[in-house]
Amino acid sequence: MFAVTLDLRIFANNAEQQLQVKGKGNVGHMLEKAADQLMSCFRVCANDNRTGIDDSKRWGMLFLINQLFKIYFKINKLHLCKPLIRAIESSSMKDEYTTAQRVTYRYYVGRKAMFDSDFKPAEECLSFSFTHCHRSCQRNKRLILIYLLPVKMLLGHMPSHQLLKKYDLMQFADVTKAVREGNLLLLNEALVKHETFFIRCGIFLILEKLKIITYRNLFKKVYHLLRTHQLPLDAFLVSLRMMKVEDVDIDEVQCILANLIYMGHIKGYISHQHQKLVVSKQNPFPPLSSVS
Amino acid sequence: MPLKTRPYGSNSGGEGPVHENPEWEKARQALASITKSQNSTKTSPTNRTTQQVGQYQATVTDSSTMQQQQQQQYYQQWYQQNQQQYAGYPYPYNYYYPMPPYGGSYPPGQYGVPGGYQTPTTPTGQTPAMPMAEDQSSSYPSQPPPPATPQPPPQSPTSTDQPPPPPPPPIPPPPNAQYPLPPSQTPYSPNGTLPYSPTDSNPMMRGYNPGQIRPGYQGYPAPAYQPPQQQAPGQGPYGGAGMVDSKKPNISNMNKGGQQLWQRMKQAPGTGAVKFNIQKRPYVMSSQNFPSAEQAPGLGSLNATNQSPGSVVATSTTSAGCSQTRPQDWPQAMKEYVQRCFTACESEEDKDRTEKVLKDLLQSRLQDGSAYTIDWTREPLPDLKQKQTRWEVVPQRSQENAIGRGGATRGRAGARLGNYRNVFSQRSPSSSSSHSSSRSPSPHNRQRDRSRHHHSDSGSQSDSSMSSDPRLPLSRRQQKGGRGRGAERDRGRGGVGERGRGRGKANRGRRNMEDLTSGIGKKRKGGNAGLDFHDPNREAKKQSRAARFHTKLRTEPLVLNINVFDLPNGTQEGLSWDECPIVGTCQDITKIYLRLTCAPDPATVRPVPVLRKSLIAVKTHWKTNQDYLYACEQMKSIRQDLTVQGVRTDFTVEVYETHARIALEKGDHEEFNQCQTQLKALYKDCPSDNIGEFTSYRLIYFIFTKNSGDLTTELVYLTPELRADPCVAHALELRTAWALGNFHRFFKLYRKAPRMAAYLIDKFVERERHLALRAIFKTFRPFVPVEYVQSSLAFPDLDSCLAFLTGLGVTFTPSDPSKIDCKISSTCLTTS
Repeated sequence: MFAVTLDLRIFANNAEQQLQVKGKGNVGHMLEKAADQLMSCFRVCANDNRTGIDDSKRWGMLFLINQLFKIYFKINKLHLCKPLIRAIESSSMKDEYTTAQRVTYRYYVGRKAMFDSDFKPAEECLSFSFTHCHRSCQRNKRLILIYLLPVKMLLGHMPSHQLLKKYDLMQFADVTKAVREGNLLLLNEALVKHETFFIRCGIFLILEKLKIITYRNLFKKVYHLLRTHQLPLDAFLVSLRMMKVEDVDIDEVQCILANLIYMGHIKGYISHQHQKLVVSKQNPFPPLSSVS
Repeated sequence: MPLKTRPYGSNSGGEGPVHENPEWEKARQALASITKSQNSTKTSPTNRTTQQVGQYQATVTDSSTMQQQQQQQYYQQWYQQNQQQYAGYPYPYNYYYPMPPYGGSYPPGQYGVPGGYQTPTTPTGQTPAMPMAEDQSSSYPSQPPPPATPQPPPQSPTSTDQPPPPPPPPIPPPPNAQYPLPPSQTPYSPNGTLPYSPTDSNPMMRGYNPGQIRPGYQGYPAPAYQPPQQQAPGQGPYGGAGMVDSKKPNISNMNKGGQQLWQRMKQAPGTGAVKFNIQKRPYVMSSQNFPSAEQAPGLGSLNATNQSPGSVVATSTTSAGCSQTRPQDWPQAMKEYVQRCFTACESEEDKDRTEKVLKDLLQSRLQDGSAYTIDWTREPLPDLKQKQTRWEVVPQRSQENAIGRGGATRGRAGARLGNYRNVFSQRSPSSSSSHSSSRSPSPHNRQRDRSRHHHSDSGSQSDSSMSSDPRLPLSRRQQKGGRGRGAERDRGRGGVGERGRGRGKANRGRRNMEDLTSGIGKKRKGGNAGLDFHDPNREAKKQSRAARFHTKLRTEPLVLNINVFDLPNGTQEGLSWDECPIVGTCQDITKIYLRLTCAPDPATVRPVPVLRKSLIAVKTHWKTNQDYLYACEQMKSIRQDLTVQGVRTDFTVEVYETHARIALEKGDHEEFNQCQTQLKALYKDCPSDNIGEFTSYRLIYFIFTKNSGDLTTELVYLTPELRADPCVAHALELRTAWALGNFHRFFKLYRKAPRMAAYLIDKFVERERHLALRAIFKTFRPFVPVEYVQSSLAFPDLDSCLAFLTGLGVTFTPSDPSKIDCKISSTCLTTS
C-alpha cells in the first residue's frame, strides 16, 4: 500500500508538472485527485476499529497522512490537514508508529502550526523532528531547520554559526547577527537579500516578525547606554533613525514601545505626558525565552 | 465453483484442483496438451464409445471415465430433472453444485476417480456401475436427497412463483415418472454405459438438438419460445424426449419465468445488480437458446444429420451430444457471445442496453441464419463499444475456455459425456436456458444469480470460467480432443459455422461441463450444490483473473493515466464553453438573473455588444440610484451571459472588476470573492491595468481573514512589477505594519488607502483598533489622552472616537474626561 500510495503521489506530481509545462489544466487538479484517492484509503484505515491492535489497518494511517500532508502542502490546502491531525492526536497509538513516520508527521504538523502562528507547538514538533531525524538524513534535517530556525529565533534561541554552516543555511547568518545585535538595518538588508529564498520557503513572514525582537534588542542597547529608568522617547527615535528608518515619528516610537511592552518584551510603561519610557528597575528586558 | 473445485480437486484429484486454483491457465494449457494428445486419439468420432473409451483410457481410467460419464449422464438426467423440477428452484441446483461428490466426481471424472463415487461405480461394473453410480451418487452426497426433496418443493414454488413452472410441472412429471431421477438414469446407464448413454443421450440430444437448432431460429420470436416449449414436451416421446421436454419446459419456464424472475429479481431488495445481470444473461441466453431448441426439434435432427454427414451416426450415437451441441453450438457460441456482452456490462443500465441490442442483433441473425455461420467468438461485441476492451479480454478467455471446454466435453463426453453433454447440451442450448431457467425461475435462481452474478461479475465469463475451473483438468484433455473433434465436426458440418460451432461447442462443452458438474453435484448433493458450485467457481475465476491481471495492472495504470492525461486535456477543452459557442440573440439591455438549470437558450442570451450597453446602463443606474440589489442582479446576469458565451476578453474583466467594486462598496463578501477568483483566472489571459488594484485587494483580504498561509503564497507570486504598483506596495506595507502590530503605521496607511482599499480595510479596522487599544492601555500610564488614541487609530473625529471608546466601556479619568485611565480600562478591554 505504501508503495502504491507513493507511486500515486509521485505520479500525480509528474502529471502536474507535465500539465504545467503544457499550460493546461488546473494547478493542483491532479494532486487533488490523488489526494482524494488517498483519503479514501485513509478512511478505510481509520475505520478499522475491530481488528486487533497488532494487525490493525490503522497502522497505515500515519503514512497515508504524511502523504496527504505532502500533497496538501504542495497545493496549499493546509486547512485540510486539520482533521488528519485530529485523527492522529486522538489516536492511542500515535506514539507507537515508526520513528521515521513520526518525524515526518511532526515536521508537517510543526510547519502547519508555524503558519498558523502557533510558535510554541511548532517549536516542539519541529524540535522533535530535528532531534529524532536520522543522522544520515542531512537533507531532511536541513529542511526541518529551515522552519525550526525562525521559530526558535522568534522564541529567543539564536542558532550558532557552526550549525548554519553545517547545514548550508548561511542565509540565516545575517539575520541571526542582525537580530542578536539589534541591528535593524542589517536585518532589513538581509531580508531583502534573501527574500526570494525566504518567501519560497514560506518563512518570510515569520522572519519579518523578528523585527520585533530586533527592536527589543536595539532598545535594550539604548537603555544600557543611557543607564536610566526613565528613557526619553527621543532617544529611541534617534536610534531608529540611525537604522535608517526614516519615516518614523514620535508616535510610532510610542507605538512600537507599546507593542513591546504589550508583548512582554519590555517591563515598564510610557508616560505620554512626559514622553518618556519608564522601565522596571529589575530586569527591564526579560530574556526572550521567558517571554510567552 | 472454485470452492468446490478446490475441495474436489484436493479430495478427488489433487492435480486438477491444485492447478485450478493457483494457475488456471497453466493447468489449462497442460491439460490442453494432454487433451490434444487424447483428442488425437479421440479424433475419430466414429463411435463415441470407442472415442470415449480411448479418450478416457488415455486420460485416466476407462472405468472411472465410464462411470463418470454414466454419472454425468445421470447427473445430467438428474440435472435435467432437477432443473425441470428445480427449474423454479435454484436451490437444488446449488446443492448439486456444492455437492462434494460433484467435485469428487469431476476430478475423478477427469480421470483419476479417487472419489468414493467413482470408485463405487467402477467396481460395480459399467452398467451396474452406472445405476450404482446413480444410486450412489444420489445416496452419496446429500445431493440425491436434496434433489428429491428440493425437487418437489421447487416445483411447487416454481409453479407458484412463476408462470413457467406450471408448464414444466406437467411435462416434468412424466419424465420423472418414466425416469425417476435415479431410475431413469439407471436404466440408461444400465443399458450400456457407453451405448446407452450415447443412445440415451443421443435421443435426448437429438430431440433437443433439433428443437434447439433451427426451429429456434424460426421460432425466434418470444411467443414462439413458449409454444415450442410446450411442443417440446409433446415431441419427446422418448424418455429422452421426456427429459428434453422436461428440460424444455424448464427452459420455457426459464424464459417465461426468467422475465418474471428478472422483474422479481430486480424488485428483490437483496438482489443486486449482479442478480439482474445474471438473470438477464440467462434470460437472454435462454431466449436465444430457446428458439433454437424449441423450434429446431425437427431441424435439430436435420442439422445433426447434415452437419455430421460423415460421422452422422457416430455423432448421433457417440456424440449425440455433438449433434445436440451442433444445434446448440451456434446457440452456445451465441450464448457465450451474449454472455460476453453481459459480462462487459458494468452497470445494470449497460446490461439493459446490451440486452436490447443483443435481442435485435440475435433475432436478425437467427432469422438470417447467419447466426449459425457467424463466428461468434470473433464477433465484435455489438454496441458495447465501451465494453469491447473488456470484452477483448473476456472473449479470449471465453475462447480458451470454450476450446478447452468444448474439447473437454467432446473429448470426455465425446462419447460418454457426450450424452451427458448432450443432455446438458440439450439443456444447455436449453441448458444455458436451463441454467437460466433454474436461476431465473425460482428463488434459487435469485440466490444463484447472486452468487453467479458475483462470479459472473468478476468474470462475467463466469460460466465459461466456472466451467473451465472445475473442468480445467478435464476440459483441457477434453479440450484437445474437443478441438480435434470440434474441428472435425466443424469441417464436416460446414466451414462457416466451424469456428462458431467449435466455440459454441466449446461453450456448450463448458456449459455441459458445468451442467455436468452441476448436474453431478445436483444428483449427488442436491440442489444446494448449484449455488455453491457457481460461487466457488466464480471466486476461483475471480482469483485467477485477478492473478492474471496482477502483472498487467502495474503497467496499465501508468499508461492509462497518461492516456487519461492527454484525453482530459483534449476533452476538457472540447467540453469547455469554447467549443460550443453560443451567440446570444437577446437584445434586452437589462435582464433578470436566473440561475441556469438547463442548457442556455440563445434567445435569452445577450451578445457582447448588447452587454456593453448593459454594463454602462448598470453603472449609471448604480451611480444615480445606489440600488445594490438591482445592480448586483444585473451584473450577475451579465456575467452569466458572458460565461455562457465563453467570452473571456477585456470586457469580461471589466465586468468583473466593476461588479467587484460595487460589491466591495456595499460590503458584499460573496460576490466580491466570486469576482476576485474569476479575475485571478482572467488576468492570466487578459491582463488589465487594474491587476495591481485587485491584487492589493486580495492581499488585504487575506489580512482580513488572517490567512497567513495564502498570504505567503500570494507573496511568492508577486512579481517585481506588481510590487512596484502603488496599490500593491501599499497593501504590502499595510501587511507589514499589521504583522508587526504597528498600529500607528497601520492606521496611517489606512488613511492613505488608495482606491477602494479603505472599504476593505473597514471590514477589520475595528478589530485592529481593539487590539491596538489593548496595547495602548497596557503600555501607557497613568493615562492617555483621547486625542492620541483618535489620531493613532485614525478615527475621523473625536466624537466617533469617544463613541467607540465608551462603547468598549473605557473608563475615563474622573478629573479629566479627555484622558483615559489606562489601568482600569485595560481590565475592561480584556474582559470585553
